[in-house]
Amino acid sequence: MKRSLIAALFALSALAAQAGDFSASLSIAPEWRTDNHGSAYYVAPPVVPARHRSARQDLALRWRDGGFNAQGTLRVLAREGQAPEHHGIVNQFYYDGDLGNGSGYTLGKKVMSWGVGFGFRPLDVIQREDRRSLNPPPLTGVPLAAWEHFSADTAFTLAWTRPGHRHEATDFREQALAARYYRLVDGNDFHAVARLSRRHALEAGAGITHTSGAEWAFHAAALYQRRYGKALNTLAESGGGLLATANPMQGVTRRNGLKAVAGSQWTGTAGFGVLVEAWYDTEAYTRDEWRRLDALTASQRARAGFAPAAAIDGNVAWSSRAFERPNLLRENLLLRLTHDEERWKPALELLVTPRDGGRVLTTGLEYQGDRQRLNFGLRFLGGAADSAYAQAPAKRMAFFEWRLALP
Amino acid sequence: MFRKLLAIAATLLAFPVIADDDVAALLRKADAYRLQERAARVETLVELYRGDALDKERRYTVYMKPGRRSLVLMRSPAEAGQKVLMLADQFWLLMPDTQRPLRITATQKLLGEASTGDISNMTWSEDYDGKVVDEKECPAPPASVSLSLNPSPAGGRGKPSASPLPPAGEGPGERARPRCLHLDLAAARPGVTYARIELYLDKASKLPVKADLYVNSGKRAKEAWYEAKTVDGQLRIMSMTLLDDIQAGRRTVVRYQSIVAKEAPDEFFNPAALVRNSLAGW
Repeated sequence: MKRSLIAALFALSALAAQAGDFSASLSIAPEWRTDNHGSAYYVAPPVVPARHRSARQDLALRWRDGGFNAQGTLRVLAREGQAPEHHGIVNQFYYDGDLGNGSGYTLGKKVMSWGVGFGFRPLDVIQREDRRSLNPPPLTGVPLAAWEHFSADTAFTLAWTRPGHRHEATDFREQALAARYYRLVDGNDFHAVARLSRRHALEAGAGITHTSGAEWAFHAAALYQRRYGKALNTLAESGGGLLATANPMQGVTRRNGLKAVAGSQWTGTAGFGVLVEAWYDTEAYTRDEWRRLDALTASQRARAGFAPAAAIDGNVAWSSRAFERPNLLRENLLLRLTHDEERWKPALELLVTPRDGGRVLTTGLEYQGDRQRLNFGLRFLGGAADSAYAQAPAKRMAFFEWRLALP
Repeated sequence: MFRKLLAIAATLLAFPVIADDDVAALLRKADAYRLQERAARVETLVELYRGDALDKERRYTVYMKPGRRSLVLMRSPAEAGQKVLMLADQFWLLMPDTQRPLRITATQKLLGEASTGDISNMTWSEDYDGKVVDEKECPAPPASVSLSLNPSPAGGRGKPSASPLPPAGEGPGERARPRCLHLDLAAARPGVTYARIELYLDKASKLPVKADLYVNSGKRAKEAWYEAKTVDGQLRIMSMTLLDDIQAGRRTVVRYQSIVAKEAPDEFFNPAALVRNSLAGW
């Protein structure tokens, strides 16, 4: 399957060289991280594979001819202590058709990002982009069939996403019907979205972006979820024992969820920018849910010497999946400082979780040449000792990316 | 002596009585050298020079429509797939990786001293009003500007302008400089790229010669020098050189390689449609 995908991508690039609008880029992105040995959630290899060093090498190909669009990636992924993995990824493959009078349709796999926000986008009900991941790879689209209508200041989209997919326990890989309405009124962007699916029932939300003068922009959005889900450790929540023999992280469904974001951005004429943003995500853990998980993990660690080490490590490793969510706590505050100076773009970002005193500091420096782009960043997790971020299994991360646009 | 006094009195009396309507007419004439078409597609090349060496260049295709609407497609490899939409004083940026339009401000830079507003807007009459403050010899372009303006743009069909604007240092006594109208313009609406512009128009032809561009704080952000060429029998502004007050030795040249009458459909100028439209064939 992988070989056929790779062959298809090469065939695509050869075909694209003949006609249409073709672009390609090569990127190499090594990443380093240090473990948080002081964390109760840290589990040493081999139970949890070491991830001190990894590298992603991508050959990204993009082709467009008329309504046909294709984007693919040939990836070599190297991780510490593991054999290199080869992947052929079809990021997008779709056709945009025109029905006249401002209407059109889309068939295929397409990136469809909706909504407003920088660190969190509640209205992004189709793509579900993880905005907090470090140096993320190019997005991969969603299989869909969509109808869209555009006028000078309105847009409407109706999309059937992931047709035929059955719902899974904790994510959004289920088929759904989604709609978006957009209207531009007096320079303000108004967005309204709705999504209907078996697992999550109705989700509906709205958002606005307003700019004031040449320097200020404000945004806000909220999404109501009739049902929402998250993975919780059943041992921590129900108190039914200390060690499980099967994965105790089980998806639970709850009613009346809310995701909301509000923020402001200032951009000065000298290229300096300041972004302040706050958001709330019911799907993230509450402070009490973290306390219960912390207590369980501490109790499991206290069993060392009395229970098999593999059982303890395995249970802690299951619990540590709680750190894989984009938002570790419901309440989040973000401050981002940037400077946009022709070739160099430094950025400094501080994320705070006020409920537990956790924080994430990220610095980045980007260089943009005519064909080359260099990107370097550091991330430090910390804060109050019992905060979620301070207890994360990883403590510091660094990444570097070199991207070359091919002729 | 009497003649000199008469000339001074005439000058003093003449300019205060230039009505706003006349300034609007002057700006419309000046605009016609930059953009005659009601709707147009402009192929733009932006070059950044350090000293005399070309440091970097970017290509843009700009679609312009009445109602202060512009759509900028970025063509250079480093920016391929990016789009900027301008609707009056509102700007959106589409990055191909995210497939989601972002709100940006007019002051966000594209390359060198060329901001989004410099590329996407080629007229003054819709955005500014003001007065003629005086009439004087046209300012002399610095030598670096003359250097950058001399070469014909790639593929250009133009001939050098007949407008006699010798560069600085050629000597005032050697060659008579043309007279310029000096206009002081203020933004007529919020959100325009520059709060104030001091504009110099050739008195005889109303051809734009130079503009000092000021931001909201009152500080001069940059100066712009305009070069005209005869294209298809018409004199048109075919390049603009931007000089930064702070970073001496750097200049940004915006070359208009082709300007073609073209009216893209209204729905292409919808922020939500940026993701969808490739404008292939337009």
